[in-house]
Amino acid sequence: MSRILVVEDEEHLATGLRFNLELEGHDVTVADTGEAALAHLVNPAPPYDLVLLDVMLPGTDGFQVVRELRDAGRFVPVLMLTARGRAEDVLTGFEAGADDYLPKPFDLPILIARVRGLLRRREWARQQPETETSPASVFEFGGRKIDFDAQELEVNGETRSLTLMETNLLRYLVRNEGKPVSRKALLEEVWGVREDTDTRAIDNFIVRLRRYIEDEAARPRFLVTVRGVGYRFTANPEE
Amino acid sequence: MPIWIQTWTLPLWLSGRGTARPTSGILKTMVPAGQRKRSVIFVVALGVVLIAVAVALNITWVVSNWRSAGLLVLGVLSFMVLIGGLSLNTIFLVREIRRNEQHDAFINAVTHELKTPLASIRLYLQTLQQRDLDRAKQQEFIDIMLADGERLQSTIDQVLLAGSTGGSRRPMNRSDVDLVEMVRESMRLVGNRHHWTTGELELAGGLPEGEQAVVWGDPDELKAAIMNLLDNAVKYSGDRIKVFVNIVKTGARKVSVQVKDEGIGIGEDELKRVFRRFYRIPGRSTARVKGTGLGLSIVHAVAKRHGGRAYVESEGEGRGSRFSIELPLKVQ
Repeated sequence: MSRILVVEDEEHLATGLRFNLELEGHDVTVADTGEAALAHLVNPAPPYDLVLLDVMLPGTDGFQVVRELRDAGRFVPVLMLTARGRAEDVLTGFEAGADDYLPKPFDLPILIARVRGLLRRREWARQQPETETSPASVFEFGGRKIDFDAQELEVNGETRSLTLMETNLLRYLVRNEGKPVSRKALLEEVWGVREDTDTRAIDNFIVRLRRYIEDEAARPRFLVTVRGVGYRFTANPEE
Repeated sequence: MPIWIQTWTLPLWLSGRGTARPTSGILKTMVPAGQRKRSVIFVVALGVVLIAVAVALNITWVVSNWRSAGLLVLGVLSFMVLIGGLSLNTIFLVREIRRNEQHDAFINAVTHELKTPLASIRLYLQTLQQRDLDRAKQQEFIDIMLADGERLQSTIDQVLLAGSTGGSRRPMNRSDVDLVEMVRESMRLVGNRHHWTTGELELAGGLPEGEQAVVWGDPDELKAAIMNLLDNAVKYSGDRIKVFVNIVKTGARKVSVQVKDEGIGIGEDELKRVFRRFYRIPGRSTARVKGTGLGLSIVHAVAKRHGGRAYVESEGEGRGSRFSIELPLKVQ
């Protein structure tokens, strides 16, 4: 049985979500404000396996909740549910640290499938230490190690958890190692967003990844900007 | 003798220290307050700096040319025109920024108010379709969907009404309207909607026996305005709903419908803004209340179209409020 926190201030929606998730066999708790959600999530015992998070909450909104959660080093999977379904909003959600984003109104089977997907991924990550790490899931470069399955990055002996979107972005850049990739390609291939939209959210993601992997984020060596195109990841940069 | 309709404990707008002319409704904005403030501060600061530079140049020029009267007058006039233009430009920019913010906030609020009940209805319909539920559960979910349908309908009605009352050229379908009867009917509707049985909404006073309050007006618009006042009072009352309604003659040819609540009240600074279209009182106590920000602006527009006025009184936050719509009586 998985523990799920539903953060939703609309009573009818919260009741419907709880009912369906409980029928799926999960243990569900509901919080109706951002503050209540953070109180539940910062020191949960036992920990939650998944958070369904509305954006438009009274007080602290959903974007801020997930941001604070990540800043506090909590990497519980977060699925954002919101009426704000514009591409900019989706990117803001991912940039804040969400793992998935589902605009309202949504289809119940799709919601259940996404919940299962996120829980499955969490389960795999949990089992990782007990089993042999698949070589394909690990990429090493310049003394750094990315474990895509465990969603972890190791730099100078220090291990950092990554959100699903950070992992997916790194995976895409590694797959295209040495080649420039455009912002539009990143939007389409990593985020699945196919609209004309502001790409600054991607730049913010890249800035964050540089802070993780570069010695000096202001003078990147591995993840460089290709002017007029986008970015290029190089595993063995020339000194 | 005035008719007081005692309403269940209600709203947030209170009667009080000030009386404000109407300007707006309530609205949930998602534009970060800090970001909005910064954009306005930047424009104002730029305007002030430019004006200060112009004034400094003016003074310098006057000092260096004080002996030449003709040039001096011409120069002073030119600088005054420049400063006036800069001031107007700054005011215009600030107004435009605020208008854009209100527009964004309105889009966000309406999006939320349309999509949320729709999402709920869809969720329950798919639950009914895909799960094996007993009869009681099915009925519970149907009731929830009906309530969400009503919410959806109400939002659509508000948006349409805001559009139709916004343009004063649109003709009204006028007829004789008995305000006492209309208020009683509206109270009945609000009471039924919330399943109230214990006097949360009360007619606390009214006109002398046999005296009527007939207004020559558009019944649909007037009813929408009264319903908006009642709904507002209920929404901003929090958990302790107690609303009083009063119908009183405020002059030889004027009648006023007053809706008083014991809710969260309104600060003095906000009194003049609450009737503004899309305006939402900032603060945690109002953030929990959903709305499009149109309700009170509709009340204001309807009152104005009927030759009357809408206003609010409140003694401050946490001390309730009293909203009134004053209309001219039909000349017999």
